[in-house]
Formats: sequence, C-alpha cells, structure tokens
Amino acid sequence: MIAKQTAKNLEQLLQTARPVDLLRNQQTGPNVYPGVPAEYTNWRDEQQAWQKTCVLFNQSYHMADLAVEGPDALKLLSGLSMNSFKNFAVNRAKQFVPCSPDGYVIGDVILFYLAENRFNLVGRAPALNWVTYHVQTGKYDVKVELDQRSALRSDGRRKSYRFQIQGPLAMKVIEKILGKPPPELKFFNMTPLTIAGKTVRALRHGMAGQPGWELFGPWDDGEAVREAVFRAGEEFGLRLVGGRAYSSNALESGWIPSPLPAVYTGNAMKAYREWLPATGYEASASIGGSFYADNVEDYYFTPWDMGYGGFAKFDHDFIGREALEKMSNGPRRKKVTLALNDEDVTRTIGSTFQKHNRAKFIDWPSAVYSMHPFDRVTVDGKTIGVSTWIGYTANDGKMLTLAVLDADYAEPGTEVIFVWGEENGGSAKPTVERHTQVHMRAIVSPAPYVEVVRKAYAPGGWRSMQA
Amino acid sequence: MPEKNLEDMLKTRNPVEMLRNSQLGAYVYPVVPAEFTNWRDEQLAWRKTAVLFDQSHHMAEMMVTGPDAFKFMNYLTINSFANFPVNRAKQFVPCSHDGYVIGDGIIFHLAENQLNFVGRAPNVDWIQFHGETGKFNIKMERDDRSPSRPGGKPVTRRHYRYQVQGPNAWKILEKLNGGTIPEVKFFTMNAINIAGRKVRCLRHGMAGAPGLEVWGPYAEGEEIRAAILEAGKEFGIVAVGSRAYATNTLESGWIPSPLPAIYTGEKQKAFREWSKPDSYVATGSIAGSFVSNNIEDYYSTPYEMGYGGFIKFDHDFVGREALEKIKDKPHRHKVTFEWNTDDVAKIFRSFFDPGVENYKYIDLPLSNYGSASFDAVKKGSRTVGLSMFSGMTWNERLMLSLGVVDPDIKQGDVLTLVWGEENGGTKKTTVERHKQTEIRVKVAPVPYASEVRESYGGGWRLRQTA
Repeated sequence: MIAKQTAKNLEQLLQTARPVDLLRNQQTGPNVYPGVPAEYTNWRDEQQAWQKTCVLFNQSYHMADLAVEGPDALKLLSGLSMNSFKNFAVNRAKQFVPCSPDGYVIGDVILFYLAENRFNLVGRAPALNWVTYHVQTGKYDVKVELDQRSALRSDGRRKSYRFQIQGPLAMKVIEKILGKPPPELKFFNMTPLTIAGKTVRALRHGMAGQPGWELFGPWDDGEAVREAVFRAGEEFGLRLVGGRAYSSNALESGWIPSPLPAVYTGNAMKAYREWLPATGYEASASIGGSFYADNVEDYYFTPWDMGYGGFAKFDHDFIGREALEKMSNGPRRKKVTLALNDEDVTRTIGSTFQKHNRAKFIDWPSAVYSMHPFDRVTVDGKTIGVSTWIGYTANDGKMLTLAVLDADYAEPGTEVIFVWGEENGGSAKPTVERHTQVHMRAIVSPAPYVEVVRKAYAPGGWRSMQA
Repeated sequence: MPEKNLEDMLKTRNPVEMLRNSQLGAYVYPVVPAEFTNWRDEQLAWRKTAVLFDQSHHMAEMMVTGPDAFKFMNYLTINSFANFPVNRAKQFVPCSHDGYVIGDGIIFHLAENQLNFVGRAPNVDWIQFHGETGKFNIKMERDDRSPSRPGGKPVTRRHYRYQVQGPNAWKILEKLNGGTIPEVKFFTMNAINIAGRKVRCLRHGMAGAPGLEVWGPYAEGEEIRAAILEAGKEFGIVAVGSRAYATNTLESGWIPSPLPAIYTGEKQKAFREWSKPDSYVATGSIAGSFVSNNIEDYYSTPYEMGYGGFIKFDHDFVGREALEKIKDKPHRHKVTFEWNTDDVAKIFRSFFDPGVENYKYIDLPLSNYGSASFDAVKKGSRTVGLSMFSGMTWNERLMLSLGVVDPDIKQGDVLTLVWGEENGGTKKTTVERHKQTEIRVKVAPVPYASEVRESYGGGWRLRQTA
C-alpha cells in the first residue's frame, strides 16, 4: 500500500483511497479567487450593475493559460474536441470541451485562435493538462507553454491581462474609449484595437442578453488599459466587480464552471493518471455537497448534461467520438436552474442562530464550498439529478443553483427538493463545519435563469439551443 | 484649489456629512486570506482548542526612541507610567485636549528609551504630530499597515506579529519552547524559543486561557508561522483568516473603532492642519443609523469605553484638565447587545422580496460597513445608546454588538437597535439602497463570554463588571 505522501502520480494516489472518499475529504481548503479584492464597493450593487449598467470583470488572475503553437496545433486540438473545426479561423474563439474515451467531460475552457498555428486555452487546469499530456506523449509538432493562475505563483505577474466589459451599457463605454462606434463583431470573433496607446485584442462576448467584450494583451499594458476603461465607464455607472460577486455571475448566465474531470476511472485513462502529478488539480480537487455516490463516475457529466450536445459534430475523428455517437441517441439529462424556495432558504439561514440542528452555512452571494459542488435533487425521495453551482443574486432576489436533472423532471415549473449539506455531520473538508442536512423546495426553471438572457444570448450557441 | 489638509476640507463640509459619505470603501483586514478553513470552525477553535492570529498586516506601528521617549508617550496617554518598566506593555489611550479618545492600542516598553506603539493609524498620526511639533528629544519610525488592495503584489512590513491563543495555547508554546515557560503576569514580556530562534513575546490571554503574542523581523515570519502550526497540529491549532479575526473582539469586549475626536475644537486645529487629505481622519467612514449634525456626538470618553480605571491624574497629559472636570459625573457605560434572532432572520428574508425594499445586508461574521460604526439604540423614542461594532459568533450562535448606553440602562433591558441608514442609505460604496428596520437587542455584560469575564487579565474587563 502506498502512503498518500509518497504517491508519485494520480494513479498511485488513487490506490491509497477510493476516489470519492479522497475528493470529498480533500484538505485543500477554500478555492481562492486571487488578485482581486473581495468587494470594490459591495457585492449587491456589483451584481446589479451587470444587469442595469455595466461592469468590468478582472479575469487576469483566476484562470490558467496554455499557449499551444506549431504546425500540428490545429490537428491536435481538433482530435481532442467534439466541436467541428471546419469553420474555425484566425481571430475566432470556441468553447473547447474535451471528453474522455467514454464520452465524459474532462474540462470546459475557451480556445482562442490567435494566429496561424497559434492558439491559447484559458480556464481551469484539467483541459489544459489533458492537452499538454497529448503533446508530450503523442507525435505532434506542437509546443505548449503554461501560464499558471495567480493563486499558484508568487511573482505577482501573468503573461496577459484579461478584462471583460459587460452589461447593457458596455458598448457605450467601448464607443467612448474608441472615440467612434465599435466595429460590428460577431459573437466569439476577435479584432485588434488601440486603447490608451496599447494594442489590445478584443473578443466579442456577451452576458444578460447584451453584447460585451473581452480585452486582453501583454501583462504590462494591463494597468493603462484598465484605467482607460474605468475612466470611460464612470459616466455610464461602470462598476468594478470583486471576487465575491464575480463567481455568482455564472448563476445568471447558466454556465456550469465545475464539471468533475472524468479522469479517475477506466483503463483507457490509466496512462494519463500515471502522467498526472499527485499534487496537481485533479489530485487536489474537492467534491462537496449532499450527493454521495460510491462510484466517482456518477459525478461525471456528458456534454448533453452541460447543454453542449449541440457542439458534438461527428465530421472528424476525436477522442470520445464513438461513445458520444452512442449517447447522442440515448436518454439525456438536462441543465436547468433551480430557484430555491424563499421561506425554506430563510429557515435554513435562521438555523444558523440555533444551538442545535444548524444547517450548513449559506455564504453570500456564492454558497459554493468546494471546487466541484454536487448536491442531491429529489422528488418523492428519489434522486432525480444533481445540483452544482449555488448562490444568491440581488438581480432576482433569489437563491439559485445550476442543476442537471433527468429529462422527466426538467420541465420548468416542476417542484423538486434540493438537499443542502453533507451526510453524518459533514465530510472532513476544511470548509465544512459540523452541521445537519436540510431539505429545501425548489422550482425547476430555465438555464440561463433570466428570461432575457435565454432569448438573446449568442444566436446558435448552447444558451439558445438549451431553450 | 486643491485642499491641503483636513482643516481646509472642513471649511466647506460638515464632518458628519463627509465621513458618512466617505468613498473609501470597506475597512479591510488586509493580506491574510479570508478563510483558511471556514470562519465558523475558526471561531470555535479559539474557545475549544487553539488559534494562530496573524496580526502582521492590519495595524500600524510607531517606534519611539530617545531620552524623552518615555516622557513623551506618557504625555499622550491617560495611564500612569509610575510602574511601567522595560519588558511591560500597556494599553495606550490618547485623548484630545477636550478629553475624548483618539483611539487606543498597545505600547511595548521594549528597552530603555524605546517604546513601540501598535494600533490603528489615527493613533500613530497623533503620536507623530505631537512628536514633530513638540519639544521632545525623540526619534520616530513609522510603519504603516499593509495596503488594503495589494492587487497580487508582494507586501512587506517591519515586523511579523502573531498571537497563539485558546485553551491549548500554552501546551503548544511550551512544546515550541522545549520546556516550561515561566508564568509571568498579563502584559509582561519575555522570550521564547521557536524553530531555533529566540523570539520576543508578550503574555496575553483569551477566554481565560493564557496565550502569547510573538513578533520579530518580517522576513522570519513565514518560518515562525510554519513552526507554530506544525507544533500545534496535535493540539488542534487553527489558523484564523481575516473574516473571523476581527470578530474575536465581540467575545472579548474591546471596541476597536471609536471615532478619533479631532474634528472640532480650537486645540485640535493644528492637528487637523497637519492631517493630509489622504489620512485616516480625512478619509475614514462612519456607518450606521445614528445621525447627528454635531460630530462631537460621535466622540467617546475613556470612561464610557471602560477605561476609567486607567485614568491617573499623577502626570501631565493631553486631555487631563477636561477629564478632571467630568470624572465624578455619571458616564455612559460599555455593554454587549445581544440581537434578537427572529429579527435578524427577518432581515435575511427581505433579500428574497424583489420589488419590496430590502433591509441593509448583514454580512457574516462581521457586519460593520465603515471604519467606525454608530447605530442608534433606542428605548421608546429616546436614543439611549450606540452600537459600535457588530457581528456573529458561532460560539454563542448569536449576532452581538459592542457599544455604550446611558447610565440608567441596565443589563437585561430590551432596547431597539435601528439597522440601516436613513432615506435609502448614504453614498458610501459599501451601502446598497435599503430600508431601515428595527432589531430588538438585549443588554448583556461586556465581555459577553462568561469565561472571558471571569479570568481575563485583570484590567478593564474585570473592572467593568465589578
């Protein structure tokens, strides 16, 4: 038996404990949103600004970047992605959702096509690790370079800055900065701009049904660009968004940030597990919540679970194709938003002030307490799905969660039970105080939750497909 | 023309208006992570096992050296220095010429002619001002608190400063020291061995159990911290993050945030002229429901802060004359307010009613939303007290606040705390639009925790309840 401390890779680490026990009892601690203050003003007003005026998200710190370059880069990436690369061209971006050979999601990041043979991946580590593995073990003429997220470095620098300007007045701010109407740009298309004398790449993005832009460039230009955006935004009520509000924006846009990388099981993934370190993301990721399954595969998502089924194009060869082709005709679960019952949430919060039977603390605005939240959703005592991201939005005055439910129960308006807190007083994760599980009623609602978002977000993207 | 100092700024502004609408933002406890584990368990640990408080970043320091250092510091505080030898510490309570507190903090008598003050910035400003303008033979070295928003950049201070506290603290400290630590009196200094270094320490304590504060060169901080956590593992030591940290005072009863009483009075004018527009006194904020046009209504006397017992008229000090005049008058007294939990739950319920006005958000565990909090506490229509620091303690499962009440208010009285600001709220960035509401509060002893009350140090905490 190998001791945890001496395990040299993920495969060895998994021989010391069952994956579910390891992940549910991780000692990693809170998932830090680094670099950015908790609040610039206050999280309530910061949330409302992205619906009412405009916001600046500073995304320069919390995600990892992987530069992928070389003559075989496109071939490599296409072979790992269910998306078709047919119409993929320089100055476009794509959601990149690599799957395991069994057809389960490994990660979900953004892929930027920066130049001929030059790409950049931005997001959580698992998809980036998967790409790096294939570069190092396969026969590709490709080089990768990782730029680690700020929480894992001490030099206070990154390769690039990354800002988003979002909200109904976002384009007005951009127009003010540019001194002319901004160029028409399709969703996920890029264009070069000049801001504060610096060359900036802009990606057309959007949120809450309104166009917005993502801006990025060399790290040292960041302060000047940020300052220019902030000054231009003043008259439009632009707010900087702090770390507390930031992660709650996914609740409104309906994006699940936290699929569990489907790497812990299967012979086909064994070589990858031996390649992965015993201290990396996959080895230190935590699962939290009321959904307890013996088999870690019950925590995996298919692309359909996450609302990405429409991305799957069987016009090319890629890892997981066979499995996904089979799944494409099978029964599917569906991504929804759960709107928790106000009275039940209030009662849960009220229990915090009791001497006994206190529920798991609900933090505001994000109540997430692990890197991969999985809460049980039931009807008549039967588990009918899992819930992931959870938090409060001041825009709707609601506690919302993003859930994946059996199709039979996914109709908007269905009443379900959301189980909050872990079994037997809670797991050993540092973020978990002793508590009692509670049930809260919830109404199945569309994802994204905000009506206007569902109709107006990028035409043809997964957000409208879902509806 | 740009304003050069606070006095300039006040020529066109009412200080109350200015401070209540400050654009400074939240009073941040910087650099230390929000939570190492979770704030609930971090709070429980200081009662049940042991904690490491990292105080390296949120306080400013002022090192005063020279032949007049001792005399100078005594001139600025109400306490007697008659029995204040080297290797002792004291709570330092500077007052204005009018007898109201500027703030308070700790002074360490480190060596002959060397004293170090540690506390909030306005005290350091006050010391510096008097040092620069008075005729004392001293040298001053100031070390400001860490930036509130370092933006991922490295931070450095002159000293690291940790406290090891809780029922198991002493066992951990003796293990680190490699043998018994001689029992010395509260606020007496000594030295302890940690990781092969001789480290200076101050006898402290919490919730009835002895503890130590240790400090040394900032560069050695990481190593000392690691050694303490390693030694403390078997005794259940928990590193306390910045969310839980500031709430420990709700249980021990110290009010960290009186308003520096410098905005009025001819005798404070020179200090106002000395204070730059970016200083604490010019940028700090007042939060809460208590509104008076007269800034002096926000001042506190040392008597009502519970420091009456410290005042010794055996030396000349700033504010002496004013304090002598009021010493025999009835004073407001410091209390803990225990918040009615149904009323608190009602506030949280309001966040789920879109279209209906919400109440002011209560952040947990610390619900202050300015540099200094002043919520009106009423009996019927009469304002009988002020709530000045509020939050939740998982140890008591309650919202508590610290404040002062009129002499006739007794323990057990049920009063009404007005939560939130008038007319939808001031312009402070920490204030979302909201509606005021009332919370029933019960007047309770200070410190609230019975363990603390019965066995803490022997200073004002005991006197207060005697």
